[in-house]
Parts: sequence; structure tokens; C-alpha cells
Amino acid sequence: MANKSFVGEIIRGIIKDNPVFVLVLGLCPTLAVSTSFANALGMAMAFTFVMLGSNIFVSLLRKQIPADVRIPIFILIICTFVTMVDMLLEAFLPPMYEALGIFVPLIVVNCIVIGRAEAYANRNPVLPSIADGIGISIGFAAALMLIGSIREILGTGGLKLVMLNVVDSVPGFYPLSAISWFSFVPEVIEFPIEPAVVMITPPGAFLTIATLMLLFKIMGDRKRVKQLRKEGYEL
Amino acid sequence: MTDVLMPALMPTENIFPLFVEAMFTKNFLLIMFLGLCSYIGLTTNSDTSKGMSMAVTFVMTMSAILTWPIYYYLLSEASFLGKDLTFLKTICFILVIAAFVQLVEFVIRKFSPPLYRSLGIYLPLISTNCAVLGVVLLNIQEGYTYGASILYAFGAGLGYSWVMLATAAVRERLIMRGVNLFNGFIGAFFAATMVALIVVSYFSVVKL
Amino acid sequence: MSLDMALMLPAVGVLGALGLAMAGMLVWASKAFYVPTDPLVDALIELMPGANCGACGYPGCADAAEHIVAGDVTPDVCTSCDAETFELIGELLGIEISAAEPMYPITLCQGGTNCKDRYDYIGADTCRAAILLAGTKKACSYGCIGLGDCVRACIFDAIEIADNGLPRIKKYNCKSCGSCVTACPQDVLLIPKERGTVYVVCSSHDKGKYVKEVCEFGCIGCGICKKNCPEGAIKLVKALAVIDQEKCTQCGTCIDVCPRNAIVKL
Repeated sequence: MANKSFVGEIIRGIIKDNPVFVLVLGLCPTLAVSTSFANALGMAMAFTFVMLGSNIFVSLLRKQIPADVRIPIFILIICTFVTMVDMLLEAFLPPMYEALGIFVPLIVVNCIVIGRAEAYANRNPVLPSIADGIGISIGFAAALMLIGSIREILGTGGLKLVMLNVVDSVPGFYPLSAISWFSFVPEVIEFPIEPAVVMITPPGAFLTIATLMLLFKIMGDRKRVKQLRKEGYEL
Repeated sequence: MTDVLMPALMPTENIFPLFVEAMFTKNFLLIMFLGLCSYIGLTTNSDTSKGMSMAVTFVMTMSAILTWPIYYYLLSEASFLGKDLTFLKTICFILVIAAFVQLVEFVIRKFSPPLYRSLGIYLPLISTNCAVLGVVLLNIQEGYTYGASILYAFGAGLGYSWVMLATAAVRERLIMRGVNLFNGFIGAFFAATMVALIVVSYFSVVKL
Repeated sequence: MSLDMALMLPAVGVLGALGLAMAGMLVWASKAFYVPTDPLVDALIELMPGANCGACGYPGCADAAEHIVAGDVTPDVCTSCDAETFELIGELLGIEISAAEPMYPITLCQGGTNCKDRYDYIGADTCRAAILLAGTKKACSYGCIGLGDCVRACIFDAIEIADNGLPRIKKYNCKSCGSCVTACPQDVLLIPKERGTVYVVCSSHDKGKYVKEVCEFGCIGCGICKKNCPEGAIKLVKALAVIDQEKCTQCGTCIDVCPRNAIVKL
């Protein structure tokens, strides 16, 4: 029973409460960092670290935090984790740190993290908060990687699938083909299209997210209309 | 003290390029992608855009004024403590900005109730706005002098303002046409695409 | 992994000192800039509809509440309150209030689909834009355009453009705030002062021959109403009949004699 709702919370964070497409929060890192799949993955990982840390600690301390000053206290807790991930990235993954720039310290004012701390972790025990954190992080990561892939494919004509490697002597983002199981995947998957540089630039970011939201809205409306028609409403 | 303060005050960069960079080529909303949540939420109406722009410009400038001395005289190695505490910059800046915004809210509420009713509601929104924290962090990253930081922050505020007003103009007309598909967030992002295209192509930020 | 004590103490010290300084400053500020609020005003603001429509003449419900408690105005200045709210407000303030009779806006135009278009209009779907082009979209340049600026101005969803192209008030929602009256660029909406007043429902100053051509119900300035009015309360202003409400006794003679059915009694 407990396990079922744990997974249920995770799935809710990915689909029903997707932070980027449904809650429309945390737009700044989403649009700025999704210039490529690799950057998106890096940001998603930093975000997951902060989200989980913040949810766990806020949930553990929720009975002790006085209501009047809860927002500054949330920010304090979140800032601790953000500073930690900032220093970790700078030390262990310098190229990713360079690519993400000021968006790593800016996770502290990311509306998603503060929002979930306030709306969920402040009111629920630790285990559901962990589930919520995992779900939201996966949802955020999925959205980021979707937008990043689209922009990279349309903008440069190729997709570079990467994964994080921390066990080797030099940790970093390696192409997927470095894993023996995926060695058939080429380092850069070429697509037979003429690249449009505009997709890497800011207008491309806005255009991508606008089109994706439009698509999701049309799909969602169609589903809702079908469901209402099934229930017998005349539309 | 003054022989340390005065050179710190003078901007070493030229002022005009600094403004052009803050307002156009490195525009905070469209190029640096900072402050987007308030941008999407408040540009449905030109009155709210005006109020938010003024509040943001004010808070950005004052934050730059307050945070630069804290970084260089408290946290860096040149401080009286002699230790490198720069890793505390994020938390200290947020602390100072949030406290300052709260103070401004108190003062405005006391001295100008009409101003409080029109502007005061935006102030709590600004204390966690990524644009404000972004400005102060960028000031440190670029290594600007005190004077340059203040001017850069003011220019960033102006850049935020003009984009807000331009997008509000576009969105109000989109809403007037009553096309349902472009209401809400989708219309906001398409409007943002249009304004971003103008900035990027006119100011040759990237060769398209 | 050893803890760098030399860094730990200054870090904790700096953060602690900064935190204490900010907290102290805020505590001082909350006392120094204390704004005493009257709990009665706060309770009244809770009861009021909070629509900030401006019908009372004040810039917001909070402002109106302050003036009501100060005794400048009576609570029935708020047209958005219903009878139940007035009872509660009356209990709170310890006074008797009864709601003023709601007066809904009327349109001083009977054109709409009855009035010809001057041209096929393609442009921004607002009345304000349609009147800028070559003497307004409708052949009568004084009448209702019907593109819905009033609908957009209404915050209570109380007005819509009916099939005849004229605004129709949804009385169950209308709070008589007057936003639609202000929003109309042709000034054809009006909130009447009391029941039973007689109005000429046309705003056209065009010559009678022209009005006959373009609109089925417009006032042509024939003057029959003026001749038949026992009080002499009607006069013709540039081919439009205008009723002087001070002199009018609401006898209704003009309504019967008008050949165009352009006069109406509420």
C-alpha cells in the first residue's frame, strides 16, 4: 500500500503536475539551459540534488518551522544545498559548470523548489516528500531533455546523447557510446536536415516551448472532449 | 577609506556600452532568460507591467548598491577578516535582498498608501525573482567596479522594463482578437518569440 | 576529509552576524513604520465583495471601507453588495441599511443589426478601433458598434452582445458599477437615475432623411414629440430629440406619438 502510493506520487510529478508544462514554473533554467541534451542533463541532475535535499529537510523540520518566517527558512535550507551542488560541480565537472553558468546558484530562487517546499514538504511526512521530489525532478528532467533534444536536433542537425560518469578517474559527461552496451550508438546522431541556428538562440527557445505547449494543449483538449462526450455531454 | 572607495566607484568600462549591453545585447529577459516567471504572468495587462517594471528596476538598483560592498568588504579575502568566504555569496545576497524588500514594503505602506496599493503587491514577488539575484551575481562574475555595478543594474532594470511593456502591448492585442488558441501561456511564449527575434536579429547578438 | 576550522568559524560568524543584523533591522522597521489599522475597517473589508469595481467612487474596496467607517458615506454606496451582505455590514457597523434599488445600464441606441454597415470591417475586434476608420463601421456614426468593448470591460460577466447586435445586460450578475458605461467609446450606455424615467433611445444627430435610410428605429428629428409634450420638456438638438428630465412628468405621451418607436419608458 505504501509502495503503491510512493510510485503514484512519482508518476503524478511527471505527468499531472509536470513543473514545466503544467505548473509553468521554473522557466528560466528550462529555456536557458536547454541548448543541448548534455546541458539539460547536467541541469536536471543539479536540480534533483537540490530538490531532494530540500524536500527531505523541510519535511523533517516541518513541525519546528514557525509559520511567519517559513519562506526565509526554506530559502536558507535550499541555499545550503545549492551552494553544495555549486561547489561540487565546480570541482568535479568544470565543463558542465562553465556551461550552466549562473543558473546553478539561481536554483535557490527557482519557483519549483520553493513552491514544492511550501505546498508539499511543509505538510507531509518524509517518505511522500521524497516521492514528490523524485517525481518533480523526473518531470523537470524529462521536460528539459525534450526541449534540449529538439533544439539541438533542429539547431545543429545532430544529437549528442551523453551520460554522467563519476566512477572513472576523470568524471564527466561522456557520450553514450562509451558504455559497452551502447557502443552501437554513434557519438553524434546525425539527422538529414539543414540546421537552423535560430533554434539555439533565445527566440528558438520560446518558439520550442510555445509549440510544445500548444501540442500538449491540443492533445489534452481532445482527450477531455472525448471523455466528456463519453459521459454524455453535448459538445 | 575614500582612497579605496573612490576608485571603486568609478566605472572602468565606458558607460554607454554598459547600458547598451544591459538593455539590449544581454537583455535579462530575452537573452539571459532571467525573471521569466513574472514576465509570463504579468504581461497580460500593460498596467501591471508598468508597476512591476518600476518595482523591479528600483529593487535591482538598490540590491546592487547593497550587495557589492558586502561581497568585497566582508566575504572576499580583502575583507577585515582575511578569509575567503565567497562561497557564502548566494545566501548573503538573498538575505540582504529579501530583508531590503521587506523594509521597502514597510516604508511604502507607511508613507504612501496609494503607491503601496498599486506597487506594493509586486514587492514580495520580486524578492525571489531570478532577475534580481542574477544581476547581483553577474556583477560579481564580471568583476565590475561599484559604479559600474550600479549602472549595470539600473540598465538591466530598464531592459526588463522595455521588454515587459513591448510584450504587454503584443499580448493585449492578441487577446483582443479573441483567438482562443493563443490565450494564456502559449500566446505569451509566441509573443516572447517575436520580441526576442527583434532583439536577436537587430542587435546581431547571434548571426542568424 | 577534514573540517577546515579556520574557515568554519568566520563563515558561521559572518552569516550569523548578517542574519542578526537583518533581523534586528526588520524588527525595528516593523515598529518604526507601524501603520495602525482599525480592526473595524479590516472586518468591513472582509465582508465587502472585494471586486474593486469603483462604482462607489473610491479607488478600491479598502478605501471605501475606510470612508464608510469614518462616516463620510453610507454603505449603500457599494452597488456590488447584495441584500445578505448589507445585513452583515449593518450588523457589524450597528446601523440599518437597505440596498438601493439596482439600476441597470440601458443602451441609447436601437441600431445594431437594424443599422446598415458603412463597409466590411476587417481589423482589431474592438469598438474603439472600428470608430477610427473613415467615420465608424456602422453607417450611423453615433450608434452602438457592437464589437464588445463593454463586454470586455465588465468584470462581473454581466453584459453580452445579443443577436440584434446591441448589448444585453445579464441582470443577475450586474452590479451597476459603470465600467461598461466608461468603456463605451460611443457613449451610448447609460445608468438611469430612477425607475420610470423616459429616454430617447437614439444618439444620432444625423439628418432625418439619412437616419431613415440607414436605421430602422432611429430618431429622425421630426419634432412630433416636442409638439405633443404637455410640459414642453422635449427639445430638438441637431435633429435629435432630448428630454429634459427635470420637466418630464413621465406621462408617456411622446412614447405613443413617436412614429419611429424611438422613445422608451423604463
